[in-house]
Amino acid sequence: MVAINNLKTRSFDKTGIEKQIEEIVDRNDEPNWVTDLRYRAANAYDGAPLDDPVISDPLEFLTNHKETPADRIKSLEDLPEETKALLDKLGISELEQRAITGLTIQDDREMIDSSFRSQWEERGVIVAPMEDAVKEYPEVRERFSGLFTPEESKLLAYHTAIWSGGIFLRVKEGEKIDIPLHLFFLIQQEGLAQAPHIIIWAEEGSEVQLVEGCTAPVLPKTSLHLDMTELYIEEDARVDLTVLQNWPEYVHTRPTQRGTIEEGGELSITTVGLGPGKSNVTDPQYWVEANGRVEINSITLSKGESLVDLGGSIYLEGDGSSGANNSKGVIMDNSRTITRGVISAEAQETKGHISCDALVMNDGARMETYPGLSSSVDNAELSHEAAIGKIKEEELFYLMSRGLDEEEATQLIVQGFVNPVIEGLPNGFLDEVKQIIDLSVQGEM
Amino acid sequence: MLKADNLGVKANGTDIINALTFNPAEERIHVIMGPNGSGKSTLSRALAGHPNYEITGGRIELNGTDITDLSPTEIAKSGLILGFQHPPKVEGVGIKPFLRKVLEAQDGYSAEEIDELIKEKGEAVGMTEEQLNRNINEGFSGGERKRLEVLQGLLLGPEVLILDEPDSGVDVDSLRVIAAGIEQLYENGTTVVIITHYGNLLNHLDEEKITVHLFQDGEIVTTGDSSLVREIEEKGFNQVFRECGCN
Repeated sequence: MVAINNLKTRSFDKTGIEKQIEEIVDRNDEPNWVTDLRYRAANAYDGAPLDDPVISDPLEFLTNHKETPADRIKSLEDLPEETKALLDKLGISELEQRAITGLTIQDDREMIDSSFRSQWEERGVIVAPMEDAVKEYPEVRERFSGLFTPEESKLLAYHTAIWSGGIFLRVKEGEKIDIPLHLFFLIQQEGLAQAPHIIIWAEEGSEVQLVEGCTAPVLPKTSLHLDMTELYIEEDARVDLTVLQNWPEYVHTRPTQRGTIEEGGELSITTVGLGPGKSNVTDPQYWVEANGRVEINSITLSKGESLVDLGGSIYLEGDGSSGANNSKGVIMDNSRTITRGVISAEAQETKGHISCDALVMNDGARMETYPGLSSSVDNAELSHEAAIGKIKEEELFYLMSRGLDEEEATQLIVQGFVNPVIEGLPNGFLDEVKQIIDLSVQGEM
Repeated sequence: MLKADNLGVKANGTDIINALTFNPAEERIHVIMGPNGSGKSTLSRALAGHPNYEITGGRIELNGTDITDLSPTEIAKSGLILGFQHPPKVEGVGIKPFLRKVLEAQDGYSAEEIDELIKEKGEAVGMTEEQLNRNINEGFSGGERKRLEVLQGLLLGPEVLILDEPDSGVDVDSLRVIAAGIEQLYENGTTVVIITHYGNLLNHLDEEKITVHLFQDGEIVTTGDSSLVREIEEKGFNQVFRECGCN
């Protein structure tokens, strides 16, 4: 019985993937290598393993949740008010908004302002929608799927088969970009899964600060989001990436990040998860060469029935390399958050630190942390610390005894808790984040 | 005008205060003295509405309004502010953003006025710009913590300010600044209630303005002028209690 069921599902699924690939290929007129990679991934799907606490089969999961997607956005004017307001708050001009939102709006390719792209190109930055990049820049081929294979897991196979949207960003050697570059893009497509592919490539000695906001105002209800970010940090390059996630509570998100940090390079990734969706499971991986450094910082506000499972493996492969994984969680309602960062010291005089702090706002909210440290050398310095607790009554009483009400006092304490992670964010962005935190806490009171 | 009538307070299931009556007169600096464990801090925290201190009987009034069952927020807004014995540090919350928020809740201040006020009053208690830019009580010494409590009193200018041991863990310089702050509050019309078990702070205050209340086992056993403080310093609590027949 079971076998027959599986067989049925499988043949249906395969048709499903192939059908989706055909649609994408028809639409995009992409190079052969991209299409070949899609079919290779589709073929790998069945045999690929899947280790996910919620989704047993991405395709089966999706076919069980067919619902009508919302209206398509055809121009900037169709954007929901709150998205427009957010872009305004981020200080993104209308022209830039057109360019940025255009990056991923498939039917509105003409919206991409060529002057925007050429402006950046003059400064030594190539920034292009991934669909265009695979056609226009031959160097994308060697980087695309350079840090993973579709055979690794069903989610990666599915992503590779049906990816669409995303960004290719390349900062040329020695270029230091002094203003934060916003990669704010909207996801919409009629498929049941969204799978943008992002490549960030910082050449030797370059520096760039990126703010990536990803939202999906028109996602079909109960959908799956599978994005992939590949990061190539070359020698002595420095990349600061801030990712804002604010998913509606019916979306399952499975973001994947992979990065290599070459000698002396530095990568700092701060993920601000204001809305993790129904479930958010991620296990980013970074390989760090000599004297390189990677820092993963995250804030998670989990509420409702959300499940958040944050892995994160840092492989310290070069002498003197270092890594840190710092997570902070504000855990509300019946949500459950798990952190399981791992740092492996595989070379001389490497350093690693994992920290996990959580504020549990009420009974029923659950927090677990499983730090992992491993060393194969005798002179690595590895450490971890964790603190899980509720808001301290004495702090609350202190603030209230000066005339703040319970809600204001709680907001202040929660903001103080997340502040060390968010204080470096660009101003408009910071205000927005604070406001969302205040609203979440307000909802709890 | 603060009036506590026939007050009973329970903490952690134990009755600490029974039938206490405390009506500190306005335009005075009141000093509550008593040995450790006599219930002085319990009184102060109960008056400020701490949720762990249960009022088992009696009534607390501020300017004729019953504040017995009000929340800490409402009590503060009614005009009673407590300066903590052990002010907690609050991670990541800057002193200035906090004070701005507190003062914004009071009408009539613009953002510029608030910042000016914080600077001015901060100088009065000898707090540097660098200290004011820190998070609440983060890395603060005992003296710095107590200065910040007095600063908040000066900024809020409450009807009644209770200072729970403003002199414990405090160096001489801080003691002077804190005393000056108390004098200033007094001049501005705040009824200041100081809880202490030392006479040190009182050496820096004008004795004429002081009323002393001796506290034992949750009760005020006697009230007098500043000479009472000298007596305690010479003889100790036990002998004074014996001599007045207060125990």
